[in-house]
Amino acid sequence: MPLVINCILIFILTACNTTTTIDEYRSFDEGVTVSSEETIALLGRRDAGHYETDDEFVACVGDKLRSLSLNVLPERRLIDALYPWLEPRTAPKGLLRMRQLIQEPLINKAITERGIRFLIWLDGSTETLDRNGSISCAAGPGGAGCFGFATWDKASVYEAIVWDLSDVSEVARVRVDSEGTSYLIGAIAPIPLLTPVKSDACKGLSSQLEAIFN
Amino acid sequence: MRSQHPVFFITIVCIALIVKGCGGTTQVLSEESFPELLAPSRAFYAVIIFTPEFSNYVARPSSKTSLSIGSAQENIMRKTFSALFDTVDFFDSEEKIEQAPDIIIHPSVVESQIAVPSQNYLNVYEIWIKYNLKLTDVEGNLIDNWFMPVYGKTSDSFMLQKEKAIGSATRAALRDIGAKLSLDFYRIPSVERHLREKSGRS
Repeated sequence: MPLVINCILIFILTACNTTTTIDEYRSFDEGVTVSSEETIALLGRRDAGHYETDDEFVACVGDKLRSLSLNVLPERRLIDALYPWLEPRTAPKGLLRMRQLIQEPLINKAITERGIRFLIWLDGSTETLDRNGSISCAAGPGGAGCFGFATWDKASVYEAIVWDLSDVSEVARVRVDSEGTSYLIGAIAPIPLLTPVKSDACKGLSSQLEAIFN
Repeated sequence: MRSQHPVFFITIVCIALIVKGCGGTTQVLSEESFPELLAPSRAFYAVIIFTPEFSNYVARPSSKTSLSIGSAQENIMRKTFSALFDTVDFFDSEEKIEQAPDIIIHPSVVESQIAVPSQNYLNVYEIWIKYNLKLTDVEGNLIDNWFMPVYGKTSDSFMLQKEKAIGSATRAALRDIGAKLSLDFYRIPSVERHLREKSGRS
């Protein structure tokens, strides 16, 4: 029995690997200084037809930046404060449209009142690429159980684009790719061995953003 | 009577829950409050007619789904039209109008549609609601019938309960009313023409 437990532990420790690749582009090499009165706002892209940047990922990046004592405006509060100009139908896709929006007195006032200087667009998703194996579960009067073995690969691709709203320009662009394989072992009880692909992508992207804001 | 093993009862309960989950009707009650709109208002007086049918509307986009969106759609339209016009009154019938407005708007729902992951092969639930805004002047002359489709989808249906996912997509579709009206209402050629004539006369 201890041998089985050891085997499972070794499997857990070795099997769930994630590869994270970070591509970074900055329009200039120096970091950006954010004063204590200035706020960073995060916003997920939601205009694509087949995916949406999920709230959970945006909140994760926000929490990481907040831990650096930066003022970060939660996404929902930003969208509500500028409603309806950051809805999927109306959100600016480029700087040209953002310049037009910011010229509207009501929108400009709402941004200024909240001290929003930087807007970080987060765009991407986590997808399951490949599934192998199978697991089946059955229940009867005598008991229930699952048997089998299944694996699946997940990939996260996210991009962050930082806009400086003081002069409506692009400050930086960071991209992170993260891949990993998860396992599900059916040994009476289903044992999931999940690879934190999205969480790794969040950490990778946040650490790059941290380097930009000093 | 012979006593049954507890596992037997647990199994029956599990099977009943699975069967209910597969075949039940999804009911979404949307009583959401919406944020105020940031839109420049124009110096016109509008009357919006919310009929009891509109205010209590229950959309049935599929045989297994019903969406109680009446009060939420009234709520978002109240906020939107209040932002778009300097003066707005809301009534449940035209007979209650006392002063002559520049425009009378009668919103109604034409149809609603739903797409679920088993239909669209994506991990998203999608909702479409098609509205008709019947626009008339104070004499009852038709200015236009403007069809306004709004759309919402969930970010990800994975691990979300079906009801929650549809509720989230419905909220997104209702928020789209504010976006669509703010962008397009004053761009409707017949509305633009009618209101230009009104402002020219005053």
